[in-house]
Amino acid sequence: MNSVNLSMDVEIGSLRLKNPVMTASGTFGYGEEYAPYVDLNSLGAIVVKGLSWKARSGNPSPRIMETPAGMLNAIGLQNIGVKYFINKKLPFLRNFDIAVIANVYGETVEEYLRVSELLTAAPGVHALEINVSCPNVKKGGVAFGTDPDMVADVTGRVRGITDLPLIVKLSPNVTDITVMAAAAAAAGADGVSLINTLTGMSVDVERRIPHLQNITGGLSGPAIKPVALRMVWQAARTVNIPIIGVGGIMTAADALEFIIAGATAIQVGTANFINPKATMEILAGIRDYMDRHKINIRELVGTLHT
Amino acid sequence: MYTAYVIYNHRLNERDFHLALRLPKEFVQPRPGQFVMVRTAESDGPLLSRPLSVYHFTRLHGHVVLELLYRIVGRGTALFSRWPSGKEVRVLGPLGNGFHIDEKKRNHILIAGGMGIAPITYLAAWLCNRSSDGNRMVFCLGAKNSGEFIGLERLEKIGGQFHISTDDGSLGTCGTVTELLPEIVGRCEADAAVLYACGPPGMMKSLASCLPAKVTCQVSVEARMACGVGACLGCAISVLASRKRIVKKSVCRDGPVFDLREICWEDL
Repeated sequence: MNSVNLSMDVEIGSLRLKNPVMTASGTFGYGEEYAPYVDLNSLGAIVVKGLSWKARSGNPSPRIMETPAGMLNAIGLQNIGVKYFINKKLPFLRNFDIAVIANVYGETVEEYLRVSELLTAAPGVHALEINVSCPNVKKGGVAFGTDPDMVADVTGRVRGITDLPLIVKLSPNVTDITVMAAAAAAAGADGVSLINTLTGMSVDVERRIPHLQNITGGLSGPAIKPVALRMVWQAARTVNIPIIGVGGIMTAADALEFIIAGATAIQVGTANFINPKATMEILAGIRDYMDRHKINIRELVGTLHT
Repeated sequence: MYTAYVIYNHRLNERDFHLALRLPKEFVQPRPGQFVMVRTAESDGPLLSRPLSVYHFTRLHGHVVLELLYRIVGRGTALFSRWPSGKEVRVLGPLGNGFHIDEKKRNHILIAGGMGIAPITYLAAWLCNRSSDGNRMVFCLGAKNSGEFIGLERLEKIGGQFHISTDDGSLGTCGTVTELLPEIVGRCEADAAVLYACGPPGMMKSLASCLPAKVTCQVSVEARMACGVGACLGCAISVLASRKRIVKKSVCRDGPVFDLREICWEDL
């Protein structure tokens, strides 16, 4: 009788995770906020809130709005800045047996490089996730992630200054996600995470104003899952590097959809707001599925029958 | 997050309700000014929990009873209004910082507009239970009209001096709560009195502009929330920090109680 290896280890380049469940950037703070509810030692990775060179105060309120099966956010990348993170927040995370992935934000390629350099030298940072949904101020504010040449440029330049496992988080607000995934892979990314939020809007009909002060925002939650899943499936057929699936994952079944469609690992975001223990329940559910089907997580990746 | 059961869900007027939930005994006693995130147990329906201030808390043998007041303002609260007794729901909390209670102050001026009466009532009960020689409480309460005045009976049982106003004069003085204040505050020694306020942003903005210089005032503010624990930064407001810098603070974690004078009222 074959004995099935039921370990949940997965690999993203040289990043070895004890299981495929990560938290999505911007939904789990820097770990302390959810520590009372979640055993941080049990998760595969935490992707911390995006870090820029200088602290940012973000957008004026209102910054969030619920939508059918989702929510819009226009936080504006409020963050404490990379130096403050390294000095004041990273030490807490070093107490846990969890991979710490630092999400990086930049308005210029130079900013991505400076932030990445500092994080690479910081003890306790295990990987970088480059957020390319930021506007490139040198190119009139067009998001990096909407242009394959810009994706390749940022990825290639960051690749040049770091040995850390490098993940590029792709924007879905593009015509063809496979072009972006291919550009990141060719430029040296160890993995791509997709998707970031879809740009959306909501209007207060009585006052005739947008519900968000910023007018538009990023849509997340169950509403975006079918789009995210489709993009993961498309990207997985295009590149050989691991895909990290994110977008509306609420349950273990949702996570498994992404894995079967081609994701090596998944991130849980908005679900944390609905149920602080979502990540742990998803992990338990994946384990249960592996038990029932006598299949290892690695064998499950990309096994969609089409 | 706890599983809770609806004990009762009483309609007080056209859109206001008094909800009592049974929670397990592990639920920690909230401090006045703290809140909870309440949601349906089902996965369909509005995605996010709704933040509601704690109105009352009773510890019984084997379980606790949490009371909340809410107003139907949208989809989420409309759904709450249809909950029958026995309905299973979810509660996260207690959350937030709560009011800071200075034991040295004896004169407490509690100001509530509309639904603000919920956290102010819990605060009053707390002060009443913890007074040795008696904290002196003065209530300034306001609502649009007598029909919208809720929770008065409970406060009257707690006792104190009452000043009531309605916009249309159907109960108490005709006018706003802030119009009552200058006289009341004027009668207290500035450093012996402390104010606590909760009400619509308009009420609190005018309070900010009319408050005498040496009088301190804490306010409990509201904001749209997603996570309720300080992770998503959705509820952040601009606050005046030291050296005139403006910083962002999360209403859910750094608040909902702030010093009246720290808040940059443009954001609300």
